[in-house]
Amino acid sequence: MASAVPRAAKRLRLTNTPGYVCTDCRRAFAASTQPRLQQQPPPQPPPSQHVGQTAKTTHFGFETVAEELKASKVRTVFSSVASSYDTMNDLMSLGIHRLWKDHFVRSLNPGIRPTPPPPRPPPPPPQSQRILDIAGGTGDIAFRLLDHATTTNRDPHTSVLISDINPQMLAEGRKRCLSTPYHATNRVSFLEANAEDLSAIESSSIDLYTVAFGIRNFTHKATALREAYRVLKPGGVFACLEFTPNLANPVLNALYKRWSFGAIPLIGQLVAGDRESYQYLVESIEKFPSQREFAAMVRETGFLVPGDAEGGGWEDLSMGIAAVHKGVKPV
Amino acid sequence: MSLTPMALRSVLRTPTGLRPLLLQAPRALYHSYEHAQPPPYREAESAILSSAFTYVPTHGFTQEALTLGAKDAGYLDISTNLFPKGAFELVKYHLTTQRLGLKDRIQFPDGQMGVGRKVRSLVLERLRANADTGVINRWQEALALMSLAENIPASLRELSALSDEIWFLSGDISVDTSWYTKRASLSAIYAATEVYQTTDKSTDFKDTEQFLDRRLEELRVMGGAVGNTLEWVGFQGGALVNLLRSKGVRI
Repeated sequence: MASAVPRAAKRLRLTNTPGYVCTDCRRAFAASTQPRLQQQPPPQPPPSQHVGQTAKTTHFGFETVAEELKASKVRTVFSSVASSYDTMNDLMSLGIHRLWKDHFVRSLNPGIRPTPPPPRPPPPPPQSQRILDIAGGTGDIAFRLLDHATTTNRDPHTSVLISDINPQMLAEGRKRCLSTPYHATNRVSFLEANAEDLSAIESSSIDLYTVAFGIRNFTHKATALREAYRVLKPGGVFACLEFTPNLANPVLNALYKRWSFGAIPLIGQLVAGDRESYQYLVESIEKFPSQREFAAMVRETGFLVPGDAEGGGWEDLSMGIAAVHKGVKPV
Repeated sequence: MSLTPMALRSVLRTPTGLRPLLLQAPRALYHSYEHAQPPPYREAESAILSSAFTYVPTHGFTQEALTLGAKDAGYLDISTNLFPKGAFELVKYHLTTQRLGLKDRIQFPDGQMGVGRKVRSLVLERLRANADTGVINRWQEALALMSLAENIPASLRELSALSDEIWFLSGDISVDTSWYTKRASLSAIYAATEVYQTTDKSTDFKDTEQFLDRRLEELRVMGGAVGNTLEWVGFQGGALVNLLRSKGVRI
């Protein structure tokens, strides 16, 4: 069954872009076969984004690109997936991403429960939280956060600022906002910004900073973490939901890799008509630091990581396919 | 990393290849004079938990008490995310701090009491701490939280650590299998007595004291019976072997 997927992928491959192929090996192989394949066009000269040793580079999936190009490439990926984002997420994760997001929001418990007012007037002004949802273009997490604050904690004041680098994703979010009860209130606002430079947001003004399935696309994760640390109030919480590169169980890991490299680009090709973007998606998961490494990064930024004493500092979801990382800015 | 002179000496005595192992695990699972135990909570955590604990008598072991405590400590509502287990973290805080504080609550004059008497007073002192901190009326909530499946491992670990602490403070230095049986039986007795304490309405917990005495007496009788039975079985076994040998069986 599992082997049928790559075979189907091979049959359906319309472009001549191979699936899961190490680009370095591919280039070496192309160079070695070049003399024999005279009728083929000569191997392309390294494109401009494949820069030399001296310039600063970063990874874009399995490719190596110049640092300044990554943001625009990520933007292109998400521009092309914006419209079919939800359908694709459902197909790729078999719907489990909704459970992860629900759990993520429930465990954060946003919103402030109203306290019974003290007997003597005047009653205190209603308290509210300011939440910043980074890379939250379509508002998936933002509306869940507001729903939890409103229905569970009876807090009608907490507001969310949705920030995304990509205008298409934000447009999708604005469209969705119209069908929520929050569109007539001032509880949702949108900001187009790079998470590594949140200069539009003043320091120590945010209660909760969330980033769900976004941080692996950032060029400089440490810079983004420092920026999160800056905008959070003392006591504010950084929370990140992200895929992990490897599952703890080697057998399940092999099956999972089979699924992500065999099926996901194929589903992307069939449903969204865009294989490249989904190939990037699975490759970027592979390149993301492991839970331990990322928890160490959060700690180095200065956050207090919950559950540090037990040696962990993160929470695995679905046997470690995704993980929740949290950090509290000390007072 | 700071090492006590004793610990440094034992590190230097170890072969070079094994030294990283010693440096990696400065935590001992037993009472160690060489390894200083790290404090159980970080500064921010103990600030929030200790102020949250003052709300337990009124608000119970709840998320609400934790939130109020966080606010009192200068943190935000959302900062309770520092405690993934929520209200159970408050229970654990009480268990841990009272366990570590037990050695300061009670001092024994040298050579006056036997180990058994010391264990009895230590258990009573630990139970009195439940009443002194004012959480005894809320302790059934805590027991309920501890019995939730996801919290059982942590609760049992804490119970065995308390039992170990009590035997250590009572001056027990057994190095045979009774090290285990002593800790296991004391854990069972302590857990039973604590459950009894939550329903005890007598003055100064007189009934709890009597309950504990009955359990300890049972343990003494039981321990004696088991010990005697084992001795008898061992003797009879030896006699049987000797008997068979005398009849020419090659054993």
